[in-house]
Formats: sequence, C-alpha cells, structure tokens
Amino acid sequence: MTSTDKSDLFISILEGHKGIIHKVALAYTDNKEAKEDLVQEIVLQLWKSFHKYNPAFKYSTWIYRVALNVSLAASRKENNRAKRIDPLREEMLSVAQSEESTVMVENYKKLQEFISGLKELDRAIMLLYLEEKSQKEMAEIMGMTPTNISTRIGRIKDVLRQKFAELPQ
Amino acid sequence: MEETNFVLLWKEHYQKIDKSLSINKRLLKELLTEKAQSAVRSLMRGKAFGIFAAVIYLVLLGLVLFFTIKNYHSAFNYFLFSIGAIFLINLKALCDYIRHLILLGKVDYDGSVLEIQRRLRQLQASLVKHCKIMVLQFPLWTTFFLSSTWFPGQAGVGYILIQIVLTGSFVWLAIWLYRKISLENLSNRWVSLFVSGVGGKSVLNALKFYGELEELEA
Repeated sequence: MTSTDKSDLFISILEGHKGIIHKVALAYTDNKEAKEDLVQEIVLQLWKSFHKYNPAFKYSTWIYRVALNVSLAASRKENNRAKRIDPLREEMLSVAQSEESTVMVENYKKLQEFISGLKELDRAIMLLYLEEKSQKEMAEIMGMTPTNISTRIGRIKDVLRQKFAELPQ
Repeated sequence: MEETNFVLLWKEHYQKIDKSLSINKRLLKELLTEKAQSAVRSLMRGKAFGIFAAVIYLVLLGLVLFFTIKNYHSAFNYFLFSIGAIFLINLKALCDYIRHLILLGKVDYDGSVLEIQRRLRQLQASLVKHCKIMVLQFPLWTTFFLSSTWFPGQAGVGYILIQIVLTGSFVWLAIWLYRKISLENLSNRWVSLFVSGVGGKSVLNALKFYGELEELEA
C-alpha cells in the first residue's frame, strides 16, 4: 500500500467514525479550544498506531481505545498543550451551529453535565454504555471483565438516576 | 429518569449531531504530513531545553571537579566530596528523567484502557522517585565551602555548633522528605507542594487517578 493509499484509507475510516472522536473529546474537555486540541491529539495518535491496527478488532474498538487513552492521559496533564496547526484554530470536527442549538435539549445538557462529573474511568464506561456497545466490546476496550463492567454500569446508573431525581421538577 | 431514557436521550441527540458533523479534510491531511511531525517536535523542544540546561550544569560541575582534582590539596576535601556527590545525584536524576521521557514517548495508545493507563500512571509516578533522589543533595550545599585546614580543628566552638545545626537540619530535612515523598503521602501539604514544584500538577493529577484505578481493580 502506498503512503497516499494509506492516508486515504485512514481518512475514510475516520470519516466513518468521526462521531466517536467528537463524543469522547467532548466528554473530557470543558471548552471548545481544549476539545479541538484533544481531537487533534487523538487523530495524531490514531495515525501513529494505524500501521499496526489489529484486524481482529473492529475499527470502532481501536478508535475508542486510542480516543479514551489519549483523553484520560490529556486530562491529567497541565493545560499547556501547544497549538497544533495554526493560530486560526480551525476545527477538525465541527458541528453546524444552527443544528446544534435546536437539538440541545435541557435533559441532554443535564446528562452531559452529570457524565462530566463522573470519575474519569466511569465516564469512559458510561460513554460506551450510551453508545450501546456490547459487554464484550466494552470489556475489550476497557481491559476489564464483562462482570466488572456490568457492576460498574449499575453503580453509575444509580448515581445518574439519583442526580436526575434531585432536579427540581 | 429511567435507565433506557439515558440511552434514548443520548441517541436522539447524537443522531442529529452525527448528520451535521463534518470533518475538515484539509486540516486532517496537514496533520498527517510533515506539519504534524514538526508540531510534535515543537512539543519536545521545551523538554529538550530543560535537559540541555541540566547538561550544561553538569558539565560546569564536572569542570570544577576536574580542576579541583588536578590541583588537589587536602584543604579541598569537603569541597570535593560535596560537589562530587551533588554531581552524581544530578547525573542520576538527569538519566532517570531522560529515560522517563523516552518511555513516555514510546507509549502506544491502542491497548486496552486499563493497561495503557496503568503504564502511564507508573511512568508519571516515577517522577516521584526523581524528587526523592533530588532531595538527597540538600545537606551537601551546607558543606562544600568548608576547608579541611580550618574545620573543625581551627574553627571556634560557636562556629562548629552553628555548622552542626545547619548541616544537621538539612540532613534531617533530606531524610524526612526522602521518606515522606511517596505515592501514599501526597495528601501531606508540604510533600504535595514540593512534588508539584518539581513535577508539576500532572504528577498530582496522576496520583488522583491512581486511586481511581486501584478502586476499579479492587
């Protein structure tokens, strides 16, 4: 495979799974600039590990692993990442503004806020749960047993239910 | 809210978002080419400068040691011992730091989350060990200026006492910090201040995460 073929294939895979990167980056950052830095860091690490992608796993499993690992590592660094491409800060992944504002319902905002308040690893598990990943795939991504995943999800859901119950009606 | 509603709420929102999510292919292609490599290099420059400064410091110490040994006199014994030990401690710390950076650069992010995060955690916690080694040089900065020709034989009792108290307190501080600086003791305010000064907030953040991993693996 030539380097052009390789980058074309990579771009098409990314195009098909861009939502994963967007959601993970959004869950681990609290502002647009940090999110964009994180998206670029995730894409860079995906590209670096692309040559040894293991076909035994789905592309989504590979992307989730890299995205979550990079996000978890980045959330523990000081906020001093250099700007990657140029000072104009173009977005790698952008959402049409009008569309976003119409779909931002209050409950979704609350759910996102509660998820952001979870511990880092719980947040990763919850993201996978909300994406309706099978227990097997979640276990592959996280490196935990399905039983452990299941127990953890139960606890996180209890916390979220409790938080929603405490909201003023 | 029922558990199924979490998923429905999430799906409903992201079905719409996914449709309007667009990827900037020009930017992506730039990221995959030389520009990305130069960006990574620029990130490393800051760390490389720290290493360069440390090397210059060690070379200067090495030169001072070299000329002291070349022109040896028994009056230089305290100086030779102190600066020699400071040199070795800093050399060890620099080697550890470089090793740490190399290992950090080699981490692949495509392994399972727990495995990779555990490896990253171990690497970040190794900065704590780096701090432990650095504190060992504290007492040596209170002895390098002494001269064998006048200390302790030719020094007055008052001066000897002051020197003992000074060096003794630095020895005590170094031992206290060496024993206290550990993953478990970072809740101690002084230890936390010291470690965050050497390793930055990243070490403290890594240690918070350490607890979370432990809990998950329990």
